[in-house]
This record gives sequence, structure tokens and C-alpha cells, in this order.
Amino acid sequence: MQGNSQQQAYDRGITIFSPDGRLYQVEYAREAVSRGTASVGVRTPDGVVLGAVRRVRSPLMERSSVEKLHKADDHVGIASAGHVADARQLIDFARRRAQTERLRYDEAIPIETLTKSVTDHIQQYTQTGGARPFGVALLVGGISDGEPRLFETDPSGTPYEWQATAVGGDREAIQSVLEEGYSEDLDLEEGIGLALRGLAATNDELSADGVEIATIDAETESFETVSTETVEEHLAEIGGESDE
Amino acid sequence: MNDLPRTGEDHARSPYEPELGDFESTPGDEETVNKTGTTTVGIATEDAVVIATDMRASLGGRFVSNKDVQKVKQIHPTAALTLVGSVGGAQSFIRSLRAESSLYETRRGKPMDIPALSTLAGNLARGGPFRAIRPILGGVDDEGSHVYSIDPAGGVMADDYTVTGSGMQLAYGVLENDYTPDLSTEEATSLSARAVEAAVERDTGSGNGVFLATVTDDGVDIRGHKDFEEVR
Repeated sequence: MQGNSQQQAYDRGITIFSPDGRLYQVEYAREAVSRGTASVGVRTPDGVVLGAVRRVRSPLMERSSVEKLHKADDHVGIASAGHVADARQLIDFARRRAQTERLRYDEAIPIETLTKSVTDHIQQYTQTGGARPFGVALLVGGISDGEPRLFETDPSGTPYEWQATAVGGDREAIQSVLEEGYSEDLDLEEGIGLALRGLAATNDELSADGVEIATIDAETESFETVSTETVEEHLAEIGGESDE
Repeated sequence: MNDLPRTGEDHARSPYEPELGDFESTPGDEETVNKTGTTTVGIATEDAVVIATDMRASLGGRFVSNKDVQKVKQIHPTAALTLVGSVGGAQSFIRSLRAESSLYETRRGKPMDIPALSTLAGNLARGGPFRAIRPILGGVDDEGSHVYSIDPAGGVMADDYTVTGSGMQLAYGVLENDYTPDLSTEEATSLSARAVEAAVERDTGSGNGVFLATVTDDGVDIRGHKDFEEVR
């Protein structure tokens, strides 16, 4: 904000272009995302894995109240990074949009359609006077026509599709772990392992109750939270590898 | 935040309304408007749907107001709908379904499945001002062939064969006699034409020839025949 007074005119209140074509409010919203703890997504032929780190400020806080993975419909999960309150608004939008599809067509909403509805909604907040962009990035994972799909939304309202990616803090470090460990024939369990290795890349003391993992299995097409015990087993395996 | 600009999909719309255009609330369609008295028949075969409709529009079944009406229309790359009841209501219903189905396909890169199209048609019938229509919807998708009858309250019923319109008892008589589940598309076409012919002979709301539609994976083919000899 220290810049000259001319720049300040372009980064207050409403989202308008600066003379060099930038939208400062959107860039600041991206900054808010990168200050959040990370979430990862891994797509395998057997389903999609979503994972997130839970940051607990005090041992007295109930870990379960830090919610970063959300079920949007039976066959769709959403992981978030950035402002939790903003994420909740988008999650609820996605839930309502998913049910609208069932009301209107009696069908489960395709993941790409849901993601694009959400990003269109996000985009509206970058073009409206008096509105502030959403300070959150989402990973939308699920099954459409039997196929696992994984999408990212960012604060500008652009959708991207991924095989595996991370949003939030230390994204680059996690991404390089994912790029190294990804192959197109991972099974769902290996997908969970890769997601945890990604999250562990920037967090030396990753514990089973400090992460949330969920899967959307291509066979059952249903969102399931992975138990703490299963996460512990995976973490023990990862710990074993790094000790060698 | 109520005045966000309208960009992209309109999520605020009720699922019982079209995304494009408004349903005007009109008083019930009076006796004097054009109605299609009508007999329309739909039969699902292994990989196709055949639809047959008569060609008469009438004023209450007492005066023939048009002798060359095409009462089956394409509404989707592989689906067709029949006009039964109020002509204005049915035409407006078809315009809405065409627009919605085209928008769906353009946005998503694939056409709506037929069960989804039938749900949409039921929702629009229920939410809209189409009090006096009773169409048949027939279509083909990856799952196979589908025939539905749709009522003005939004009821959607799937069947192997169905008939709607004022000549329905006459047409059903023929179908109940000759329908079998293993009909070929040609046999079904001939059966549907004979069913409409029976109705045309005795129902004053039906007459003047037959339109035959064949819906397959390749699309919708619609042909009119003044003479039942050609298609029996």
C-alpha cells in the first residue's frame, strides 16, 4: 500500500483495472489464499483423493471444528484454502447448485459443470461495485459418468483441471512432490499416500489428527472421510521411507 | 448484493421455469382456441422410437380448422415431442424445450440424456401455463430408447408404448392387439400408423393423414403421409 498515490487509487474498494491491466483486489485475494494452510487433490483411475492440513491454534481447540474438506453432494467433495468463512459461502452455493441439477434434470451434477457454476459465481464478485473477491481457492473432486475429475477454482473465477495439485501455502513445494510421485496408474490407496507426502513436504510434524483426508471412489461414486487410523498407517509408511 | 450483474448461468431461476424466457400466466385456454383433438402414438423399439400423429386441428373437435398440421417436432438432436391439446401451449412448450436443450448441449459439449429431458419437460409442464397439453416425448441416448407421456400437472410416465389425445381408446385397441416387445422399427412404424388410422376413422378430433417420426442415434426423421395406404 506504500506505493504512490496513483497506485492506491486502483487497490481500494471496487475492483477496477490498473493502467497496466492488473486487478489488485484479485491479486490480494490470491495472497490471502497463499496465507492459508494447504489442501491437496490427487486424481487416480479409481477415484479422487482430497487432503488438507488442520491448523489448530491452541491445544484447547477442538480439531474437528476446523473444517477444510466438505461434501458438496454424494459424488462431490470440495477442499479449500484461504478464508474459511468465504469458503463456506462457496461450499453452500455448490451444494445448492448440485441439488438444483437433481431438481431440474433428476441427475447428479457433472464435476466440470459444478466447477464452472462456482467459478462463474466467483467471477461476478470481481466485476461488481461494492463487492470483494472471494479470498479462497477450492479443489473440486468427484465422479462424472464413472470418470474421476479434479478441478481448481481461484479468486479470479478461472477453472483449471488437474491430475494432482495443491492450493494454499507452500503450494510450489507440494506441487513438486506431487509431480515427482504422480503416475497415471496409482490406485486410491497410493493416491492417499501421495496426498499425504505432498502435505508432509512442508510440515515436518504431520500427525494423523492434524490432517483430513477424504476420497470419492469411482466405483461407489460416494464421498467418504478416511479414518484417522488409516491416515496413521499411511503416515507411518511415509515416515519409514524417509528414515531409510 | 442483490444487484450482481447477470453473467453466466442464472442460478436464481426456479427449476420449474425455463432459464430463458418467462412463462406468462394466461387464463385457461378457451374452447375456441385451436386444439389438436388428436391421436398421437409413441412406441419404443430396441434402438429407436417411432411416433405417429394425425394431421387435424379443430375447434373443440367440431370444426376442422387445419387439415395439414405437423404434430410431432424435433426438440433435441435425438428426441421428438408431440403436440396434443392447445396448439399455442404446445408450441410454446416446444420452443422452451428446444432452447433449454440447446443451451445445455452448448455449455457442456454433450446433449441432455432423455430421462433428464423428460424431467425438465415435467418441471416446465408443472410450473408453466400449459394447462391443456398432454404430449408424448420419445428419444434415444446411450442407455437406449425411451418413451414418456407427460401430463399438464407435470406427471412423467415412462412406457414401452403410449397414446395421448382424443382418439386414444381407438388407437390403444389396435396396439393392445398387435404390440409385442420384439417389434422391429419398421413393424413398429406400421403399427403406429395403423393405430392412428383406426382413430382417424371414428374420432372427430383426429384425421387428414399421418406424420411419422423415427428417432434413432442418427437423429430425427419426420415424414407426412396423406394416404394411409403408403404406411400401413
